[in-house]
Amino acid sequence: MRILLGLFLFPALLIAQQVPVKEHFLANGMKVLLVERHDAPSISGGWVARVGSVNERPGITGIAHLFEHMMFKGTPTLGTKDYKKDLEIMAEQERVRDLMRTEDRKMRAMWRRGEITDLFDPEQKTKRWRELNDEFKKLVDAHRKVIVKNEFDRIYTSNGGSKMNAYTTYDHTAYFISVPSNKLELFMWMESGRLLEPVFREFYAERDVVFEERRMRTESTPLGKFSESFNSLFWESHPYGWPVIGWPSDIPAISKADADEFYATFYVPENLTLVLVGDFKSKEALAMAQKYFGRLKRGKKTVPDVITMEMPQKAEKRFYAEAETNPNVDIYWHTPAFGHKDTYALSVLSKILTGNTGRLKKELVLKSKLSTDTFAWTRGMHYAGQFNAGGEVADGKDPAAVETAIHAVIEKLKTEPVPAKELQKVKNNFAAAEYRRLTSNHPIMMQIIRNEGTGDWRELNTAGAKLQAVTPTDIQRVANKYFTKENRAVAIYTRKPGTGGGGDEDPLLAGLSGQQKAMARKVISSVNSEKDLAVLKSRLKQLEAQLEEAGAKAPPIMKVIRAALRKRIGELEK
Amino acid sequence: MKKIILSLVVAVAFSAGTAEIPVRPEKLKFPKLQYEPPSGAKYRVQLKSGPVVFVVPNRELPLVSVSIMVRTGQYNEPKGKAGVAGMTGYLLGKGGTKSRTAEELEERLAFLAAGLSSSVGATSGGVGVNTLSKDLDEGLAILREVLTTPRFQKSRFDLYQQQQLQGMKQRNDDSKNIERRELLRLAYGPNFFRNVIPTKTSMKSITVEDLRAFHQAWFHPENFVVAVSGDFDRKTMVAKLETLFAKWPFKGKAAVSVPTNKRFAKPGIYVVDKDVNQGRVDIMLPGIHRDHPDFYAVQVMNDILGGGGFTSRITNRVRSDEGLAYSAYSYMPGGTYYPLLFVAGYQSKSATVQYAAQIVLEEMRRITVEAVTDKEMVTAKSSYIQTFPQTFETKGKVAATFANEEFTGRGARNPAYYKEFRAKMAAVTKADVQRVAKKYLTPNKVVILIVGDKDMILKGHPDHPVNLDSLARGGLKNVPLRDPFTLQPLK
Repeated sequence: MRILLGLFLFPALLIAQQVPVKEHFLANGMKVLLVERHDAPSISGGWVARVGSVNERPGITGIAHLFEHMMFKGTPTLGTKDYKKDLEIMAEQERVRDLMRTEDRKMRAMWRRGEITDLFDPEQKTKRWRELNDEFKKLVDAHRKVIVKNEFDRIYTSNGGSKMNAYTTYDHTAYFISVPSNKLELFMWMESGRLLEPVFREFYAERDVVFEERRMRTESTPLGKFSESFNSLFWESHPYGWPVIGWPSDIPAISKADADEFYATFYVPENLTLVLVGDFKSKEALAMAQKYFGRLKRGKKTVPDVITMEMPQKAEKRFYAEAETNPNVDIYWHTPAFGHKDTYALSVLSKILTGNTGRLKKELVLKSKLSTDTFAWTRGMHYAGQFNAGGEVADGKDPAAVETAIHAVIEKLKTEPVPAKELQKVKNNFAAAEYRRLTSNHPIMMQIIRNEGTGDWRELNTAGAKLQAVTPTDIQRVANKYFTKENRAVAIYTRKPGTGGGGDEDPLLAGLSGQQKAMARKVISSVNSEKDLAVLKSRLKQLEAQLEEAGAKAPPIMKVIRAALRKRIGELEK
Repeated sequence: MKKIILSLVVAVAFSAGTAEIPVRPEKLKFPKLQYEPPSGAKYRVQLKSGPVVFVVPNRELPLVSVSIMVRTGQYNEPKGKAGVAGMTGYLLGKGGTKSRTAEELEERLAFLAAGLSSSVGATSGGVGVNTLSKDLDEGLAILREVLTTPRFQKSRFDLYQQQQLQGMKQRNDDSKNIERRELLRLAYGPNFFRNVIPTKTSMKSITVEDLRAFHQAWFHPENFVVAVSGDFDRKTMVAKLETLFAKWPFKGKAAVSVPTNKRFAKPGIYVVDKDVNQGRVDIMLPGIHRDHPDFYAVQVMNDILGGGGFTSRITNRVRSDEGLAYSAYSYMPGGTYYPLLFVAGYQSKSATVQYAAQIVLEEMRRITVEAVTDKEMVTAKSSYIQTFPQTFETKGKVAATFANEEFTGRGARNPAYYKEFRAKMAAVTKADVQRVAKKYLTPNKVVILIVGDKDMILKGHPDHPVNLDSLARGGLKNVPLRDPFTLQPLK
């Protein structure tokens, strides 16, 4: 292939570079994907369950993610000194928790009537709840005596395992690690073990960990809580509307029984894919996979599909937030699901917009200077997709102007075909990325997992040709189809008054709200560009009269404009 | 050798076939793994045109990566010009060249699907290009232009300056950014070069001439170390690199050493008040240089204490036992130019910030007074030893690792570092671990940084009362937020 590249410089880029995946199935229906690479003595291994927050329902949102945490707690032989006692204590914990859940229900009723104000405040819990909680704490202490802490991790770590982690998305949950190549059987033992018989120890302490994770990612970051809210606005009927980490009301309400049911429904071999990339022999790895993962039993029922579809949006949605951030604009559009034929043209379109030489940067950052930074991306998820574009507003500019400019860039894509050279540039980058993605085991595994978890690993090898086949007409067609006003949701973020501190901002504007500031900036900029002293003086006179009339009720913005007028008049009179 | 491999294969095949699955993983038998790290000398070439290069061919994919490390950094910024290093680094690649505008250069690179990177950080600069091998010559020509005749185009200069000034506004938005800034100030003192960061005044004072001066002083072949990997033949590549660096149009300054005049803060609990529902905490102590003989023992000690993730004590107690944090850890890396830090950190809801600090400090004390267990030793040491081959897992990493050794001088000082790494790690004993714990985890020097809702944090949790004075000497110290433009305390 390299020889070809030398001969035909440019067209050779169109040759797709395949990821050499070998697909197999175990007798129980579990899929096994193997990529042999012998560069280094290590193996990246993982598995993906085709289950995510999309498979939840109100009341147990966050269970897919909580489950991901629980999968590290061990098995009947890993994680305990005395499995019999272990089970007894956990059963006893469930009994107490059931009683506490009855109290929780009472407290929710009290909260609805306004008798308590904060369900999370330990001091507002019922007396009975607190008694039960004390009882529960004793059981936790007793449990600690038989638990062997994080033994699952210790076994892997002491055997050279690294990069062990897991993640949960809307559509899938993935678990992975890298092991030295002589430890393949350990990987098989550990992973099949925790799938065969996971034991959910420390279930209730782990919910607190998840709450801290929620605080860290969502609640204590400048934009976290707003993006969560905006996402929920965007998805109307589809389960993509609730956050992967779950609603705060639901996380503490999830019971072990819920988790058991979830496991039995979704963690069945026909819903799992094992992925190995690295230094092994396929034949041996496959035999080992059959021996270890072959023990998993098929589920009792067919794995359920998500039925609820996103309702076609009826009107544009708009979201205004004041946050601790520089002003910015964020726009979502609904697009089709993973593997849909339009996703390729949309991917190409997103690259026409982004990057150093993308149209958004050229128009908004370099030409009109409305923005300091812009972005665009698209993704097809399993059941539906989204396209996102936006940018940070340059100081002194109006978010509305940035929004208008983004729409204008997109409008042009609807009416004018993308020039051949520009399209080729984007395609060259898709082609080169096919090589760059192949440099080491771990990222190769992660890409297989992501594609398999979202829809089908084959996309890795089939998307390339489809992207290369996109025509200017295709781009125009998808632009017209998806980028309509009714199909979008727009978030406008302005700086929360009193933040971003410091003496930089025009001192005149201090104390105004975000929206007023934007308005004041517009007026001030028109005042400052006015050269006619008489006009300025007459405006000042008018304003002063209005101020006098309004008295104490005068909105602060009027005084700001008065100051700006006086300043400008002063400058011109110098 | 061949025979051994063969017998291994048979063993694997056997165990995968008929043998029973044991109830515990300790019963599994693993084939031996032989691994010897590559030797840097094999790839090292001293070019006649100046730089030392590490040339590592890899014919697997039609890609070439050329990466130049430059002996300069933030420490070379003239007084009052904080930001000039970063700006020079950024605009080298993003500001065009004598023969091409920034737009023309970007357009060409994008069409070739080539990556051009340039930056200057605290203690090094870097310029690199990554191209398809068919475009190698053009990629190298662009690299030469960027390095010798950067344009520092005015429109890009203005844009970068505006982006930086606007970015400054966000300095107090995210508690994580406040934490990072104050941590470095406490660790090294406000006058240490790493803490002399751009202000509005310094950023506005920078001119294109400042960038030219910075560039011409440091960006010349005598100051370069180069890593090259990918689809080429060694001899041809060396010839190309000789040409790339020959006849440099300007003569710069000789590299100067990185300053070491840092100062660790006085003991105390330093609190930055910020309205968020989770406090970010760092428990800090002076750290270690990577060439220090204690380095290996310190790595094992830290791994057991808080560096080893779920197998470490701090994670076990703060996260798994108590559910007080999602992330709880410690780190104590060896410094390259000066001793760095020991930090134990976590993020916890305001009410349990103090309680978690108490637990972390308890663990820091316990490891100084009690010997660690055999199991902990095995876990920590095996992890370092068995993950070691990852250092060189790709050809790109081979080239980059050895270039870095050359750049930082360890390659010359201690050429056997990688060869001996596993043996040195294996030699660490329980007594070593306790000795270094006692030596470095000194409670009387502890500095604690907390960023979060001060009142709620000090109120604590009714079930877990904590005496603040028991956490650190020196008492509570309020650290004001800083004006994002001047970095002076805000009232």
